[in-house]
Amino acid sequence: MSNTSKNTTPPLLIVDGLTVDYGTKGVSLRAIHDVSFELRAGEAVALVGESGSGKTTTAMAIAGLLSPNARVAGGEVRYRGSPLPIDDDAAMRPHRWSETSVVFQGAMNALNPVHRIVNQIAEPCVLHGMSRAEAMARARELLELVGIPADRGAAYPHQLSGGMRQRVMIAMALACRPSIVIGDEPTTALDVINQAQVLKLLVDLRTKFNLALILITHDLSVVAESCDRVMIMYSGRIVEDGSVADIFAEPKHPYTRLLMDSIPNPAEGKRMLRPIPGDPPTLMKRPLGCAFHPRCPSAMAICATEAPHLNAYGKGRVACHLHNSLAPADKVSVNA
Amino acid sequence: MSEGTVQSLSRIRARAIKGFLRQLLGHGGAQLGLVCLVFFVAVAAMPNILVGPLQTAITATGDFLAPPSGQHLLGTDDVGRDVLNLVAHGARISLTIALLATVISLIVGTIVGITAGYFGGWVDVWLMRLTDFFFVVPSFVLALVITPVVLEVMGRGGEILGFRPSLFVIIVVIGLTSWAFIARVIRSQTLSLKERTFVDRARIAGSSDTSIMVRHILPNLVPQIAANGALVVANAIYIETSLSFLGLGDPLQPSWGTLLSLAQRAGAASVGAWWYLGAPGICVLMVSLAFVLIGNALDDTFNPRRRVIP
Amino acid sequence: MPDNADILRLENLQVSFPMQSGVFDSILGRPKGVVRAVDGINLNVNRGEIVALVGESGSGKTTVGRVITKLVQPTGGRLLFDGEDMTTTHGFSTLRPYRHRVQMIFQDAYQALNPRHTVFDAVAEPLRSLRLVENRAQLTERVSEALSTAGLNPPQEFFARFPHELSGGQRQRVVVAGALVVKPDFIVADEPVSMLDVSIRAQILQALIDLRDKYRLALLFITHDLPLAWLIADRIAVMYLGRVVEIGSADDITLYPRHPYTVALRNSTPQVRRDAGSGGIQALQGEVPSAARVPKGCRFHPRCPLAFDRCRQEEPSAIEVGPQHLSACWLAK
Repeated sequence: MSNTSKNTTPPLLIVDGLTVDYGTKGVSLRAIHDVSFELRAGEAVALVGESGSGKTTTAMAIAGLLSPNARVAGGEVRYRGSPLPIDDDAAMRPHRWSETSVVFQGAMNALNPVHRIVNQIAEPCVLHGMSRAEAMARARELLELVGIPADRGAAYPHQLSGGMRQRVMIAMALACRPSIVIGDEPTTALDVINQAQVLKLLVDLRTKFNLALILITHDLSVVAESCDRVMIMYSGRIVEDGSVADIFAEPKHPYTRLLMDSIPNPAEGKRMLRPIPGDPPTLMKRPLGCAFHPRCPSAMAICATEAPHLNAYGKGRVACHLHNSLAPADKVSVNA
Repeated sequence: MSEGTVQSLSRIRARAIKGFLRQLLGHGGAQLGLVCLVFFVAVAAMPNILVGPLQTAITATGDFLAPPSGQHLLGTDDVGRDVLNLVAHGARISLTIALLATVISLIVGTIVGITAGYFGGWVDVWLMRLTDFFFVVPSFVLALVITPVVLEVMGRGGEILGFRPSLFVIIVVIGLTSWAFIARVIRSQTLSLKERTFVDRARIAGSSDTSIMVRHILPNLVPQIAANGALVVANAIYIETSLSFLGLGDPLQPSWGTLLSLAQRAGAASVGAWWYLGAPGICVLMVSLAFVLIGNALDDTFNPRRRVIP
Repeated sequence: MPDNADILRLENLQVSFPMQSGVFDSILGRPKGVVRAVDGINLNVNRGEIVALVGESGSGKTTVGRVITKLVQPTGGRLLFDGEDMTTTHGFSTLRPYRHRVQMIFQDAYQALNPRHTVFDAVAEPLRSLRLVENRAQLTERVSEALSTAGLNPPQEFFARFPHELSGGQRQRVVVAGALVVKPDFIVADEPVSMLDVSIRAQILQALIDLRDKYRLALLFITHDLPLAWLIADRIAVMYLGRVVEIGSADDITLYPRHPYTVALRNSTPQVRRDAGSGGIQALQGEVPSAARVPKGCRFHPRCPLAFDRCRQEEPSAIEVGPQHLSACWLAK
């Protein structure tokens, strides 16, 4: 796996204890709590979680695209060793797109309906100092790169199918040769065949340009053939982190295990539904202790009172009292 | 159990309304507008208590065109009537006309708009052509055409629904010329609402077209109707003033527009009687502004694009 | 199960929409194009059976669901429900008995619930519209029953809630309850779990399976997800560009597909447990053509890796390749 072989090189991106709150009018809600991980050049990492797990907030924080009511309450993000001003919109501008770019979920909303797609791809290039002619040439090159014939560039977004539009989004993300690309549920709105095409494209581009890829998804099965490493998030925290092979072969966290079990796998021939009881917690109502304990089949007494630390376990990390009996007590409650 | 449901339901409604009001009152504009409006509504509700019965040339108490003084706070007119007295009574007439005309235009506009938008096709085409017609007919011209006809038929002395004919005409004219705007807004909203899945669900649940329009589409139009309704009131006051100023009002039930018209005819501007023109003028301005402010605040409150969590 | 036990039968069902023509087209008198969304499909669903209709977007699978629920009128073929021809029935009062028996579950519960109606009103709506209850007490009882069958317990706690106060899973349960409340014989479920979080999906699917077991309810499960279809359905019908190209038991279709399109669908699904040396994701090239320009011959041939001359000339009809297993491919024999 590429992450183990490249451990000697310094990480491209370090997220260190990142904590983000959302708040208006005195109410403050913690979206992500103490999120830490490293990303190396060329590495593909998936952030997997349900709605409200904080996966999107984490990614948007890295890209410096937090919404105005979000506040970085702690921690920092370092890119090539120096801290990124992630909560300063103006100071982030030079970093965005040329270092970190984002492929958004709803391509139809992210594209301007009245401009030809080739012009929209050229736009970020112009903003980052290319001449108009250079930018157009680059845009055509990018279209070919994502598998759209350059002469389709004259089309408007509505003339393209969902899969094609998502390719346009990828081309836009690559416009300024970033080293990190964040895919925010890039295939969720697509059906299987388009999803497979877009995933394959992302994997190919990643190898071609040695891109570091952060793939945000709620669908664990999407991760299997496109990423090296998976981080499972639940209720604002990373609960498990490890290589795809390790996690898929032997998930440590009960939540990960239940997620794995809920993926139907015809090849194994077991037509069994294993529902996870209960609903995912909301930001407003988060259980004390381990946020997963009310739904957890192996919950113990300690789980209801103390949130487990994300500790090294085997080759990865896991935040669960089952694998963590000697850890010091966590004094910080999630709803602090 | 059913009672408990009803109780908790009304509690939820009360909570929602409280939250809505708090948000609405958070707008500086809405505060100003509401204060202004409450003041004028209070005046319109009890002019007799506040300033005594409406003065006529016979019961006039002051000199001719006397400037404001301790006795006549807003001066007097050209026959010696107290301007404060006239303006306070005018508020009742002006507001009543504006509100009734707005109710007419909201009812007609909503029915036409929903029907056109929901059924589409030929119904839509014909209703919208009709709407376009009323959209472009100038209210003045319509009033000028209708007034003499109504007066001819009814005579100046009679009453229609408690209104003297000329005021009734003004209400009808404003109602007829304002609904087209509402109908267009409602139609476009209906077009998007009827594509929503909950309309499909209602159809599968066996609901009739009427029931879908009344129970599903109409409640979702309330924000548009309320916000635009406030703007229509402002506009209605303005049209009423203009029509009365042109002499279509009723001198026995003087609205602010009628007062302005009288002031103009008495040459208030040329003799420097600023209070006679200014008092009703500023009232018109303030009430229209109040409704515009409230309308905008309602529009803002009903469209909460700001959520706590993205 | 006897053969004549089917509750729903579609015979050569067709739906076409006139294409929106531009101003110039109408001035020049160009003929209006036609989009053949559903182009002659045959399908039957037995009592107590779950049939999955699988296809990409643009395959016409949703239109089939809308025809069955009488939101769209078919332009050809027949729709038979419990032996009765419902093809041309329309009008809300004539359709009342049918609505009583056929209900629908929608993909996006947030869209399917009126934001200004409470849960109680949403679930009670079919009972009121179809006049299935006589008094308030009966209404409350039926609504409670449906909510708790759909897994919302205790039901009274949800009566006065509005859709935006519920979680995604709870909203979908309300939609399920709204379909169940009339005790239907047949439910069309259009992508009922695709908008839900993974951990909630299994709960909703389990609720649907329980209903089938308890009430012998028949279900048409529309999805683009083949493994999901395999998980819940007894039989799977694969649709491509308005036609059913392969139909058979869930295991046959998923494990031994005989149509190249079904194979492509299967290979597009990411494999969770990778076998060593597997080639990774195999994506089918190209896109579904527009239903306004259906390719000549086999409609799949432009994208088919196995296409040969005959495929470009003649359209194959469905032939039996196994027990209850039909495939419309020249190579299927």
